[in-house]
Amino acid sequence: MMENAWIIPLFPLFSFLFLLLFGRKMKESSAYIGMMLTFVSLLYSLLVLFDRFTAPTYKAEATWLTIGDVQLTAGYEVNQLNALMLVIVSLVSFLVHMYSKGYMHGDERFPIFYAYLGLFTFAMLGLVISPNLLQLYFFWELVGLGSFLLIGFYFFKEEAKQAAKKAFIMTRIGDVGLLIGMILLFWQVGSFEYDEIFKAVSAGDISAGMITLTSLFIFVGAVGKSGQFPLHTWLPDAMEGPTPVSALIHAATMVAAGVYLVAAMFPLFSASDTAMLTVAVIGGFTAIFAASIGLVQKDIKRVLAYSTVSQLGYMMLALGSAGYAAGVFHLMTHAFFKALLFLAAGSVIHAVHTQNIEEMGGLWKKMRITGPLFLIGTLAISGVPFFSGFFSKDEILIATWEHGNFGLFWLALIAAFFTAFYMFRLFFMVFTGESKSNHSNTHESPGIMTIPMIVLGILAVISGYVNTPWFGTFLGDWLTEGNEALGHGHIEGPAWIMIAATAVSLAGILLAYLVYGKRSVSRDFLGGEASTMHSILYNKYFIDEIYQFTIVSITKAISLFLSFIDRFVVEGLIYAVTGVIRRLGKTGSAFQTGQVQQYGMAAFLGLAILLVIFVLTGGYIL
Amino acid sequence: MDLETMLSYEWGAMMPEFIILGVVTLLSLLDLFLPKQYNRKSLAWIALAGIILAIITLISLFDLEVTSILHDTFRLDSFAKAFKLLLLVGAALVILLAESFSPKEGMAENRGEFYYLFLAALLGAMVMSSSGDLITLFVGLELLSISSYILAGFRKKNLASNESAMKYVINGGISTAITLFGMSYLYGLTGSTNLIEMSGTMSAVFDGQFQYLLGLAFFMILVGLSFKLASVPFHMWAPDVYQGSPTPVTAFLSVVSKTAGFIILLRIIISLFLMTPSDETGALTFLERNSDYIGFLAGITMVVGNVIALRQRNIKRMLAYSSIAHAGYILVAIAVLGYFTFDAVWFYLVAYLFMNLGALAVIQLITDKTGSEDISRFAGLYRTSPVLAVAMAIFILSLAGIPGTAGFIGKLTIFMGAFSADPGHYVLGSIMIGATVISYVYYFGIMTQMFFRPALPTEKLKVPGGIMFVLVLCIGGTVLFGLAPNIAFDFLHTNFGSFEDFLQ
Repeated sequence: MMENAWIIPLFPLFSFLFLLLFGRKMKESSAYIGMMLTFVSLLYSLLVLFDRFTAPTYKAEATWLTIGDVQLTAGYEVNQLNALMLVIVSLVSFLVHMYSKGYMHGDERFPIFYAYLGLFTFAMLGLVISPNLLQLYFFWELVGLGSFLLIGFYFFKEEAKQAAKKAFIMTRIGDVGLLIGMILLFWQVGSFEYDEIFKAVSAGDISAGMITLTSLFIFVGAVGKSGQFPLHTWLPDAMEGPTPVSALIHAATMVAAGVYLVAAMFPLFSASDTAMLTVAVIGGFTAIFAASIGLVQKDIKRVLAYSTVSQLGYMMLALGSAGYAAGVFHLMTHAFFKALLFLAAGSVIHAVHTQNIEEMGGLWKKMRITGPLFLIGTLAISGVPFFSGFFSKDEILIATWEHGNFGLFWLALIAAFFTAFYMFRLFFMVFTGESKSNHSNTHESPGIMTIPMIVLGILAVISGYVNTPWFGTFLGDWLTEGNEALGHGHIEGPAWIMIAATAVSLAGILLAYLVYGKRSVSRDFLGGEASTMHSILYNKYFIDEIYQFTIVSITKAISLFLSFIDRFVVEGLIYAVTGVIRRLGKTGSAFQTGQVQQYGMAAFLGLAILLVIFVLTGGYIL
Repeated sequence: MDLETMLSYEWGAMMPEFIILGVVTLLSLLDLFLPKQYNRKSLAWIALAGIILAIITLISLFDLEVTSILHDTFRLDSFAKAFKLLLLVGAALVILLAESFSPKEGMAENRGEFYYLFLAALLGAMVMSSSGDLITLFVGLELLSISSYILAGFRKKNLASNESAMKYVINGGISTAITLFGMSYLYGLTGSTNLIEMSGTMSAVFDGQFQYLLGLAFFMILVGLSFKLASVPFHMWAPDVYQGSPTPVTAFLSVVSKTAGFIILLRIIISLFLMTPSDETGALTFLERNSDYIGFLAGITMVVGNVIALRQRNIKRMLAYSSIAHAGYILVAIAVLGYFTFDAVWFYLVAYLFMNLGALAVIQLITDKTGSEDISRFAGLYRTSPVLAVAMAIFILSLAGIPGTAGFIGKLTIFMGAFSADPGHYVLGSIMIGATVISYVYYFGIMTQMFFRPALPTEKLKVPGGIMFVLVLCIGGTVLFGLAPNIAFDFLHTNFGSFEDFLQ
């Protein structure tokens, strides 16, 4: 099966092309085309995964480009990580395809939505089976394009348009880092192939400084894509896209690509302590930073967005603490429970037509399916025992502790408390208490939307059991099998960590219950909305504003200045001269030597400057 | 020169030039003698047939060894063949654009002249790519320039067109003067105008006194020729001229004429300065020593082009600044000066030809239809004509250098050249990456217009056959060379090797 893995991304591509051409005539039956084709992808991915349990890694490639004596290849590879990612991506994509049939019902541009979904899924699947950095970069950009189109899907909303542009440009900043890192590696190793790079690293062909430098550059790419501090601001804004998109792209797949990249390049990272520490620190800081912002947000999707940023920070923290298996494990469980939470949130939004949690309440009775499913997702992300998030978060905490990052460990533990608190705050405010909306016709979503949620709900519970300290660490052992560079599948740690994690998450839940459920503690027990702390958190530490005032305005100023010269100094002269000539009724605009002087001046000035520099630097003296 | 020597020359090497010259003559006669009411539009097909015939002849000449005739003033080497092919293909596409060009006024009465002036300009560019002597080089340059000046002002009654022609001619004059001044120094130093002889003299002797004069000549030629490339410091004419000229002429100036500029630049600086020593030991040649100056200009060009483009609302003006930036990218490849320089420049020009001509084809269609060049005319294009919007999106993605397109491969080869050179040109490479990022902003501005804006109430655009053909070819080229760039590189290597006959 593995030798046919290349076909998996082609089904969604076909769906994209087909719907682009015939979508208009298909109307809403486009959904079936998209669902069918992603389902085939899912089946294939599952077969490949099962194959990979027994068979060794498969890799095929062909020469793609020859420049001089350099040969660049293209191909595909199925190793443990790829096989797992294929299943996660195609599964979530299929479920989102299905869910969108109900959610997007009645949208004028329904087929286009499905076409974009196909394009995105194609790019994401292509990304995970790439055997080299160049091909990864290729799909990396395509994924960004798909995300751009989907975030801006509601283009009639100004925010959506802005968010799409912001997401694209912010992630591009990260991509530049990736590109530089990639090219530096190429310069050192002479190949973009993962295998070649790792071989060179282990053989000591690359200097230690270079390893650190390249891995940091590559990490910049991951930071951009995975919404890590300081390039995280695009992700919450990206919530302007349709909710199924948020579930697919901004929770389960695309944002995980950054984590995937670090995981895929893990042997390079682990060769440099500085790089590992940077990954861990950025991850740990992002985890607590985003969680603290999540405490006070009022938009249901924004809360989830910040929790995504925070959870991705956890994954980075794990990878940076040599917990390869833990990071990938959390990537998987998070994909399921976060997709579930987003889809459930979509179902809520679908029912009450608002995203403001202040205007929700008492939905538990009205949404008999969504409510319990949302609760499952909340329990999983909060790390309550026996749910998937519990096991993976536990692995991360142990990895951090055992790697000696004690400071980060405590930060992560506090972040876990925050997570439990804000997630249950969300739950209690949405599902319990009095109904605040006037929508009397609030109703449960149709089956086509609830079935995907049920599937994810089941996975959010059971997916943790593939890697537990009690029943065996299958996933971790399998992931690291045959590759010492990836570390151990499971790291033994003190038992109190598990207990502490449980206690912390239960404490968070309890506090949320007291404040928002039972309301026995005032909501303003820590200062209320007027306090400085609240204002800082609510405004996301003013990061956007800081960017606005520094980088954006400087760039704008330079651009304005140059444009000013071009437009007013030069053009102003043109207009002045033409105006005079017109008024005088002379022979027209043919004799406008005035402004052309400027152009000639520029050339002469340029020449003069070059010659002066030449003389000063010693062209003559030699 | 007697008749016998005349006949002994291998005139076959000049066949493509002769064909174009013949068509020019034919068209001018036809235009003179055809009755007034006859629609000159169909003359385009004769011009096109001539160009295609020239392409075929050129391809049949691929196997020919280096041929040099007329006392080494005209030489047909791999370099000439490879770049002449680019010129011809670009010209064929521009002719198709011109055939479909139908502005509100100012084109009908002298359409015939347009075609033969255009071919004359092409002939100038071809002569430039094949010249082995400063005199032929200069004659070719002037033929190209003078024809282009007239073309820019082609819409006689259009104010903008006149203005742009006037600016073009004045700036062109200045640039020619500077170039010629620089060349005269070289002649004074070497006593010859033949490139190979000059190179021989210059590399044989070293004298500290020469350095200064050589530098003077080098910089004058570089700055003078930067006019044709539309690069800093001679870039300021481009936005005005591109905006004012009829769109096919813009296409010609931004693609064919720019390619010609790079041809002449490479021809002169590689032939003359690559072998010239810069000190007694001869460890470093003059060009290697001073390539940082080219890098410096390249850096400024990229930044200025992309940053000013951010503020533009006029689509042709925006593309003019973008074309300035692209000239900067190609200059990076020249500044880096390695084994791949020719390959990188050639491939980038191929990619640029397809993507820029494609984009201009769409722009021509839309500006003709709406009569406005404001970027808002692209609003909601995806809703009114999805095919055009997708085509434009492909060209823009390629111009922005997104993977999967020829533009990306072009940039990648230049990056790799910059980073793998020894010592690496990191600063230049980083500026290029930074400038590329800035360019996303305005390129994606167009994308947002097309995909994320409500449509203007306009009727459906009808795509004329000629433009359709250009679009199909340009999309094909952009995507094919983006996905399988080996096709182009293989073609280049099998037919032209590594341009090792350039200096022979």
